[in-house]
Amino acid sequence: MNLDTTIGEENISTLHIEGKILGNASDAFRKEMELQLQTGHDKLVVDLTNVPLIDSSALGAIVTTLKSCQESGGKLVLLNPQKAVQEVLEVTHLATVIEIYDTEESARDAFM
Amino acid sequence: MAETILVVDDDLDILELLKMNLEPEGYNVRTASDGESAVQSACTDPPDLILLDVMMPHKDGFQVIEELKDIEETKSVPVILVTARGQTEDKVRGLDTGADDYITKPFDLREVTARVEAVLGRTRPIKYINPLIRAMGEGFSEEGLEQLAGHLQAAAAIQKKLLPEQAPRLDGFDIATLLQSSTSVSGDFYDFIPLSETQIGIVLGDVKGNGIPAALLMVMIRTALRLLCHEEDTPAASLKRINDLVARDTEADLFATMIYGILDTETSTFTYANGGHCYPLHWNNARSIEVLKVGGMLIGAFEEATFTTGTCLLAPGDVLVFYTDGITETEAGDAPVSDGNHSESMRSEQDDIHEDAILTDIFYGSDRLAACLSKNAALSASALCKAVVSDLARFSGSTQTRDDRALIVIKRDV
Repeated sequence: MNLDTTIGEENISTLHIEGKILGNASDAFRKEMELQLQTGHDKLVVDLTNVPLIDSSALGAIVTTLKSCQESGGKLVLLNPQKAVQEVLEVTHLATVIEIYDTEESARDAFM
Repeated sequence: MAETILVVDDDLDILELLKMNLEPEGYNVRTASDGESAVQSACTDPPDLILLDVMMPHKDGFQVIEELKDIEETKSVPVILVTARGQTEDKVRGLDTGADDYITKPFDLREVTARVEAVLGRTRPIKYINPLIRAMGEGFSEEGLEQLAGHLQAAAAIQKKLLPEQAPRLDGFDIATLLQSSTSVSGDFYDFIPLSETQIGIVLGDVKGNGIPAALLMVMIRTALRLLCHEEDTPAASLKRINDLVARDTEADLFATMIYGILDTETSTFTYANGGHCYPLHWNNARSIEVLKVGGMLIGAFEEATFTTGTCLLAPGDVLVFYTDGITETEAGDAPVSDGNHSESMRSEQDDIHEDAILTDIFYGSDRLAACLSKNAALSASALCKAVVSDLARFSGSTQTRDDRALIVIKRDV
């Protein structure tokens, strides 16, 4: 997995991830989101365009971060999850509590 | 996963003998023929246990232990010392230095495997909770560590006892279960709760997360459900109470997915609610697979979650299958795309349409499970469980499992 975070307008952090988020990669993913929160970035876009799969620990990281963001008045949104990831989000019903967008523009607009 | 033992002795015959003895027991065996290379090997890739000869030229066993105990990566690796007969001083010094046990030469090979297994059995839980200890910080005492290890062993024992050994016998139904654990404490669990003469509660779940917190969460969910299912009218109401309990009392990243349902043997109906768990499969009398898609939020993350109750009617010969994702996420054995790097390079070369095909090749998936179920629906429940296990072994090329697997098969008599 490759992880690259860019901070854009309105202090929105976008996590660009490439590859499966499994095992150790889930830890790295969790730590990166924690780092964003610790440095005051609670507007997060998690770009899942190039993520074929995530495991339950990555799912846990998303849930925890989502709640932390909400508590501090921010937000976490997902961008463009692929079929297998979308299925996990639907089976777990996380798709009903997390905002999911198809394009980077609409994800950014979610914070306006 | 197989545990690794580093065997250190300057006598090459003994190295070979121990290797030949331990490998058939399922251990990975590495060898080193002097103290210096033993320390190096242990640091590069810490083994789960070291069998260490005391009498070696240049650097003896005691020096090796002292060095290992000073290195962060190796200080908690258990060591069994191999000493010459009658050297009581050696034994005392060895145990003082931090050895976990000793074996005297000449040794009985059965004693070696017994001692190895005993030491690993003692230290396994400690290794398992090490990540937790690290998270708790430096100030954690050794006594605390042992206490925690004890708690974990107790939790594992409780969990084993909690799992019903045999599926219940019910009039008109044939039930079989499967549970394969990848670690000493399983995240997957199932339970059968007698509710009345004609009704039985059936639970299948998967606690996410690791170590003690996950083990405790599983025990908590199981116990709570056993108590409160009698008070609630519907499975959805039971799940809602479990969810509220867990969401209130635990961290957000500790959660479970589970299905709870009531099988009524009089009406042959299964009434269920699903907390974020893989959809059950129903092989029906129309000879096709119906996916039970009444879903709900995963358990324990959000206090406000609500659940829906679904119903499924079981005709004679119908089969109902519950499973955990350890089954559907079983990876293909020799598929060319099974390693991460490869699949990434393929992604850049191919368009999105092929992505699905690649994933279908990597994982066993619910479609294969459904196909296996359809093909074997005429078998008994336990034969069906076995058919799934052999199908998984065929697909993955291995009988080992990376994740926990649980399966419940319920078949209505023809």
